[in-house]
Amino acid sequence: MVSAKVIIRDPMGIHLRPAGMLSNEVIRFQSSVTFQTGHSQGNAKSMLSVLGAKIRVGDEVTFFCEGPDERAALIAVMAFVDQDRYECK
Amino acid sequence: MFKGVNASAGIGIGKVAIVEEVKLVIEQKPVADTAAEVARFKVALDKTMQDTEAMKARLLESVGEKEAEIMDGHMMILNDPGLTMEIEGQIGAGVNAEMATETVCNMFADMFAAMDNEMFQQRATDVKDIKARLQKNLLGIESVDVSSLPAGTVLVAKDLTPSMTAGINPKNIVGIVTELGGKTSHSAILARAMEIPAVVAVSDFMKDIKDGDMVIVDGSEGVVYVNANEAVTAEYTQKRDKYLKDKKELEQYIGKPSVTKDGVHVEVVANIGKPADLEKVLQYDGEGVGLFRTEFLFMDRDAMPTEEEQFEAYKAVAESLAGKPVIIRTLDIGGDKEIPYMGLAKDENPFLGYRAIRLCLDRKDDIYKPQLRALLRASAYGDIKIMIPMVTCLDEVREAKALIEQIKMELDRASIAYNKDIKVGIMVETAAATLMADVFAKEVDFFSIGTNDLTQYTMSCDRGNDKIAYLYSTFNPAVLRAIQRVCKCANEAGIMVGMCGEAASDPMMIPLLLAFGLNEFSMSASAILQARKMICNSSKEELQAVADKAMSFTTAKEVEEFMKEYVKSLQ
Repeated sequence: MVSAKVIIRDPMGIHLRPAGMLSNEVIRFQSSVTFQTGHSQGNAKSMLSVLGAKIRVGDEVTFFCEGPDERAALIAVMAFVDQDRYECK
Repeated sequence: MFKGVNASAGIGIGKVAIVEEVKLVIEQKPVADTAAEVARFKVALDKTMQDTEAMKARLLESVGEKEAEIMDGHMMILNDPGLTMEIEGQIGAGVNAEMATETVCNMFADMFAAMDNEMFQQRATDVKDIKARLQKNLLGIESVDVSSLPAGTVLVAKDLTPSMTAGINPKNIVGIVTELGGKTSHSAILARAMEIPAVVAVSDFMKDIKDGDMVIVDGSEGVVYVNANEAVTAEYTQKRDKYLKDKKELEQYIGKPSVTKDGVHVEVVANIGKPADLEKVLQYDGEGVGLFRTEFLFMDRDAMPTEEEQFEAYKAVAESLAGKPVIIRTLDIGGDKEIPYMGLAKDENPFLGYRAIRLCLDRKDDIYKPQLRALLRASAYGDIKIMIPMVTCLDEVREAKALIEQIKMELDRASIAYNKDIKVGIMVETAAATLMADVFAKEVDFFSIGTNDLTQYTMSCDRGNDKIAYLYSTFNPAVLRAIQRVCKCANEAGIMVGMCGEAASDPMMIPLLLAFGLNEFSMSASAILQARKMICNSSKEELQAVADKAMSFTTAKEVEEFMKEYVKSLQ
């Protein structure tokens, strides 16, 4: 399993559009992609799960990828979050 | 008469057809073979998926691509592993498919409903619509088919589900009334796209009506009449016919350039106060935005908006306009507004006091710099122009421009993209600025005349004071001379001159403005086509005589009467 932590910089947190984009981005991987924040956890492949986690600006989110293509999946997650809305830690 | 929310403009008169969804009874039942139950759910899921694709195809045909995308959202939710895995997990634990669907969908619908944003709350309706379709497929119940309703039908429902709306034949449905919903609900968006008059959020409407009742739906005003008397019906029939005639006539001007008969090109653009107003700008074919007020970003909150937040808002507007120009006015705020976090002292005379550019230049670090930096960064994503409000002297312009240059250098050092040739202009709305217009024209890229304040400042007349309202007329020769002078100075210097006050859309004013040499007319989006029609039917050269005559009068009343007669003579 591989993991990485990010801080959310978008003042709106992870809202509808980015949540949809994130799940779209990772659903193609065989590995599981999950995440954990201080107050919630969920499945990054599910837009509903990402939205349900109510991730807000300033939150620290750790992504976990596990499976045969876990490195590629984590790179994809990082590429997605590294769009100046988010800050890698 | 019933009152609701005006969700889609126009007037519809027709017979009621009440559309009610079958009330689904979902019961918990024991499941003997959980694997078979999961398989049953998967069959229903596939069927729902196919139904959704079919609805998308129908919407593509009856409404358009943008609206059909709503169904893409539904397919995304149906495909969401968070939803399907959760449901299958519950079935695996011995819950029947109908009940598992109920529980899991309700959980997500509640989640959306609890979010503090109307757009999210509307997604709750989507999830519930999907839930009902899944359950109907599980139970083998057919959905209500609205596509076969006869011509002249007013559709009445508690709430229109997206799937119901997808079945609507716009040729047969003349109006829509719902008890629930809002301006941004899917049914409202689709009603607007199909140009069906609609009034939503009419509480308890269905209690008092039955199938076959005659109703009048006034989607422009948000009112509904049931079995109205002859006089009211006649009045609305006339209103409807006029609305349709005017609309048809104006629609001819969509996609047409705003050019006078003698070949003078001008721009007809829109004033907006928030990004959501853009929908209308595009609908009425605005050639861009002539005034985007930024105050909305600063109002009704506890802290200053960050540079990032402003950047996102400006970027979103620039991108939505896809290359069309947008003039963004920097913060125009003063002691007349209650913004506790800004710590502004109450001004004795706020409109002549510490406001707009005066305030911004004094508060560079916390107000002006973040805003200008956000604007410059957003300029990489579209044709953004910066406009400085309430300018009275050249020093203000120079100081603001120096600050912009300083930020550009900082962005260069940080390798952040922006439009290096970004245009910087001023609002011309003070007497000082009109008198010095020739000088300003050499130092800025464009003018935009704010007639509301220009009238107020030129006439020394508080525009909110009823007792002196007689002084507040843009047709006052003093104001007209100011406008004419500003246009002339801009024309001579070769810079663009626009107008973003009410006067720009006034049919009595447009002929004068064309003759003066105004290049850009900015107004509320719904007035755009009317203004373009007038411009296309005018000849600038012929208007010179009209303007000369108007300018020869010495009182506002004389000018107004003359222009009123002139406009009448055109019809």
